[in-house]
Amino acid sequence: MLSVTNVGKRVETSAGELEILKSVSFSLAAGASLAITGASGSGKSTLLGILAGLDVPSCGEVELAGQSLTQLDEEGRAALRAGHVGFVFQSFQLLPGLTALENVMLPLELHGVSDARAKAETFLQRVGLQQRLQHYPQQLSGGEQQRVAIARAFASEPDILFADEPTGNLDSTTGAHIIDLLFDLNREQGTTLVLVTHEQRLADLCQQHLVMEGGEVVGFNGQVSDAGVLTT
Amino acid sequence: MKRLTLSWRLLWRNWRAGEMKILAVALLLAVTVVAGISIFTDRLQSAITRESHSFLAADRVINSSQPIPLEWRALAQQHRLQYAYSTQFSSMAFAGDAMQLAAVKAVTEGYPLRGKLHIATQPFTTDPQQITVATTIPAQGEAWVDARLLPLLGISLGDTLEVGEKPLKVTRVIAEEPDGGNSFSPMGPRLLMNAADLQATGVIQPGSRISYNWLLASEDPQQLQAFLQQLQPRLSVHERIRDVASSQKRLANALATARKFLSLSAMISVLLAGVAIAIAARRFASRHVEQVALLKSLGAGAGQIRGLYAAQLLWLGVITSLLGLVLGYWLQAAIVQLVGDLLPVTLLAPGWLALLPPALTGLVCLVCFAAPPLWHLPTVPPMKILRRELPVSAVRQYWQVLIGLLALLLLVAVFSGDWVLTVSLSAGLVVLVALGLLLARLLLNGIQHYSERSGSRWRLALASLQRNRQQTLIQTVVFALAVSLLLSLTGLRTSLLEDWQLQLPPETPNHFLLNVAPHQLDGVKQLMSDNQLTTEQFFPMVRGRLTHINGVEPDEEKRERTETLRRELNLSWTDHLNSDNKVIAGQWWDSWPAGGRVGVSVEQEAARQIGLQVGDELRFSIGGLTLEATVASIRSLKWDSMNPNFYFLFSPQSLDDFAPAYMTSLYIPSQQKAFINTLLRFDPTLVVIEMDRMLAQIQAIVSQVSRGVELMLLAVLAAGFLVMWAAVTSSFSERQQEAALLRALGSSRKQLLGSLWLEFSLLGLMSGVMAVAASEVLLLAMQRWVLEIPVRWHPGLWLWGVSVSVLLIGAMGVFACRRTITTPPAVILRELA
Ligand SMILES: Nc1ncnc2c1ncn2[C@@H]1O[C@H](COP(=O)(O)OP(=O)(O)O)[C@@H](O)[C@H]1O
Ligand SMILES: [Mg+2]
Repeated sequence: MLSVTNVGKRVETSAGELEILKSVSFSLAAGASLAITGASGSGKSTLLGILAGLDVPSCGEVELAGQSLTQLDEEGRAALRAGHVGFVFQSFQLLPGLTALENVMLPLELHGVSDARAKAETFLQRVGLQQRLQHYPQQLSGGEQQRVAIARAFASEPDILFADEPTGNLDSTTGAHIIDLLFDLNREQGTTLVLVTHEQRLADLCQQHLVMEGGEVVGFNGQVSDAGVLTT
Repeated sequence: MKRLTLSWRLLWRNWRAGEMKILAVALLLAVTVVAGISIFTDRLQSAITRESHSFLAADRVINSSQPIPLEWRALAQQHRLQYAYSTQFSSMAFAGDAMQLAAVKAVTEGYPLRGKLHIATQPFTTDPQQITVATTIPAQGEAWVDARLLPLLGISLGDTLEVGEKPLKVTRVIAEEPDGGNSFSPMGPRLLMNAADLQATGVIQPGSRISYNWLLASEDPQQLQAFLQQLQPRLSVHERIRDVASSQKRLANALATARKFLSLSAMISVLLAGVAIAIAARRFASRHVEQVALLKSLGAGAGQIRGLYAAQLLWLGVITSLLGLVLGYWLQAAIVQLVGDLLPVTLLAPGWLALLPPALTGLVCLVCFAAPPLWHLPTVPPMKILRRELPVSAVRQYWQVLIGLLALLLLVAVFSGDWVLTVSLSAGLVVLVALGLLLARLLLNGIQHYSERSGSRWRLALASLQRNRQQTLIQTVVFALAVSLLLSLTGLRTSLLEDWQLQLPPETPNHFLLNVAPHQLDGVKQLMSDNQLTTEQFFPMVRGRLTHINGVEPDEEKRERTETLRRELNLSWTDHLNSDNKVIAGQWWDSWPAGGRVGVSVEQEAARQIGLQVGDELRFSIGGLTLEATVASIRSLKWDSMNPNFYFLFSPQSLDDFAPAYMTSLYIPSQQKAFINTLLRFDPTLVVIEMDRMLAQIQAIVSQVSRGVELMLLAVLAAGFLVMWAAVTSSFSERQQEAALLRALGSSRKQLLGSLWLEFSLLGLMSGVMAVAASEVLLLAMQRWVLEIPVRWHPGLWLWGVSVSVLLIGAMGVFACRRTITTPPAVILRELA
């Protein structure tokens, strides 16, 4: 589903060129789950962005759902995201002007799905928010907002789901509920899951575990041994 | 299709979230104001044109010294024009032994095509009951005459007189002719007859001086225009086209100025609305960067994003434009309702073309003001969803300004069709903005200096201005722009109205009195003083032709081209000049070395047409005698003043040998109108030309248009508010954050409120000073070059302009930002998290 070879990222800053990602390689089978952990600033989000096709690597190859991301242009990557990728963000990223239902409907509408409303309602029901369809994000608690975001991510039935610190803005109890929900849905849908987190408990739930430091992969502790493994 | 419905839904959600309100209101305002003004001026214009055409008795007149070729009628019919003929000449009218030179006008059925011919069955009546509007022309064998012709010939209504060999029965008295009041030539009392009788009179001989007129009118101005265009190449040197502009310069001038003013105010509201749109669009864009990043992470490509936003703008444009057209129609209907009773004209239905400018405005505003700030949205990197601080590359601000300016130029040009106005307005704006930025920067630097040694409230306010330097600069200039445009427009309106009033002081002479015989002069003066009527000066007047210039007779062609050489002229002498005359070359009599020669002072336009210089020798033919005179000076004069004015003024006493009759202008109040009859009974050979109807009409038009303008001013004011509101609220969220922090750190609400007041009042002060300076310059320039009215300073402006600006902007800023202070900081900090 996902395969990464020698991916690196350099950015221009006022202090000169900075290498924020160094030669990362690994691969992930369909339906598997991967946790990326590491200290703040170690390059987790950068890697995630590249894996999901939000950003392009400076060097190396990324293959997602059978297509080489590096060979696609921006429009092509967008189309790929539309067909295969879902996101859950740390800060939820719900549109404040839209109701919970509309937020979930948005990607479906963008992709031209015809029964967007029914589908969105189903998924909101699945995350337990069937009573809150017409509520606006600011009328919902943080945990509820993230549930809406999860419903939005799964509603378009992605092959692979990327989550960047999905519990980072939540207290631990709520976070635990969110994690359960995420993994439940993941199992139901057979989605591949890439998860950035600094919570050990969350990392433990994943089949594979990638530890980063200073832009490099410093540890890999896969429970499935036939997955591609690389340690530097 | 799906995309359109999706964009529609997104638009609706954005609207609901309150993100498009200012944008929409500004667009709506621009379209509404332009629609209102466009429709109103269109209706007014066509009504006034039609009304003023009544002075011509037609929309256009082809005038010639030769008979108008009858085959041209086919062309007129082809364009479905109405037409009539009027043939004018002086001829003796006889009744028994009495005879009198009369101004004969022979007309065909349909005359007058515009305006109304008022007739009466009672001579010298002023009783409106007795006066009716003629629905036909005199029947064959009949004549309608000026009342004074009756005593001159010693006949009464119903008697018969003769013109040449044709006897005509006098059946009606003419009370008022639409096209009678503007002729200076004292050809005698009017005699209106049927053109079918013309042949029988036998007075039309080769060589007789006859003015042939072909009166034309059409409900459809374009048909008329097309007809004239096709006719043009067929016209010979004899024929000329007369329209309102050439026959009623004065009225036309008043109209042109009014129209310029109206389109100027429309333009200014559009400009202000445009700025508001641009500011609102910027705010919209900055709020939507994250939304776009999210949409992209959800799989929307740049193309789809562009399509979605373009479609939203399109929806917004279509809806606001349609709504604006409807509101604009209501607006002008309200204006008409408001001033309707005052209108001297009945308004016609608006033409469809009047809807073009507002529609264009909506489009231009959208494309040139709203689109540029949003242009970069599709290029927002999707990675921004994970990394907020990632920069986005918006369209450079100077490009945005440039595009807006170009749009403005386009709009101004389209509205006014006036390049001087276009260029001066845009140049003024560029200078204003550039100077404004410079000045604001200097002021800010000064403030920085000062803020180091001042109290806490001051420090807070000044620091806030400093911290958002860029924003402060932009706000200052935007405020200054809005305030200065408002001030200029109000100032312009005032000086325009004053100027109109100055042109027509309350007791402006409204009648001309001509043909006063020297032995009657004392009697007439006596009559006037008996009736408490005063007059300035009686001018001796003779009629003559200019026959030779430096001993040479002008050739036929030059004669045809030059009206002053063709016509009989009114000649006069005077020793002192009215204030509206100015010698611009040569010498006035007091310093002219006469040496027994006769001198003549020539009006500059006539001198230019004929090609006369100081020192040229002229020969005049006056009643068969000749008079040699040297050009002593060239004069400029104001034809608008209602004083008697002459192309040729001779040195004192030089016309005494030519049996001059006297003329003057005088003011007769309307309740003393009957005095004319007294005068005419006293001496029926007097000629009275009534200008009061035309003057009253001009004044009515001016006052009515200025009322319309005042309403429009309200719209401009609304646009100004909108801009300021947009500018103030654009900083709302940062302010909220700052205020919350400051309050969390222990600043009191009162302290923050005080510093808000201070901050915005300071902004108001800076922009106020800049605005007043700018509008003063703008006003002076406008007066000088655009409206061509006397230049006058506006000291009052400085006082109230600046104070209004301080109060207004201070109050508006505090009102708009009060929520940043009154909301508990905890709420804000949570919202921000
Ligand atoms: N476009 C960029 N320009 C400059 N520095 C960047 C850019 N993107 C990431 N960085 C830097 O790279 C490092 C890794 O960032 P990030 O991937 O967000 O780390 P993490 O998500 O693990 O906290 C950080 O120090 C960040 O400041
Ligand atoms: Mg991160």
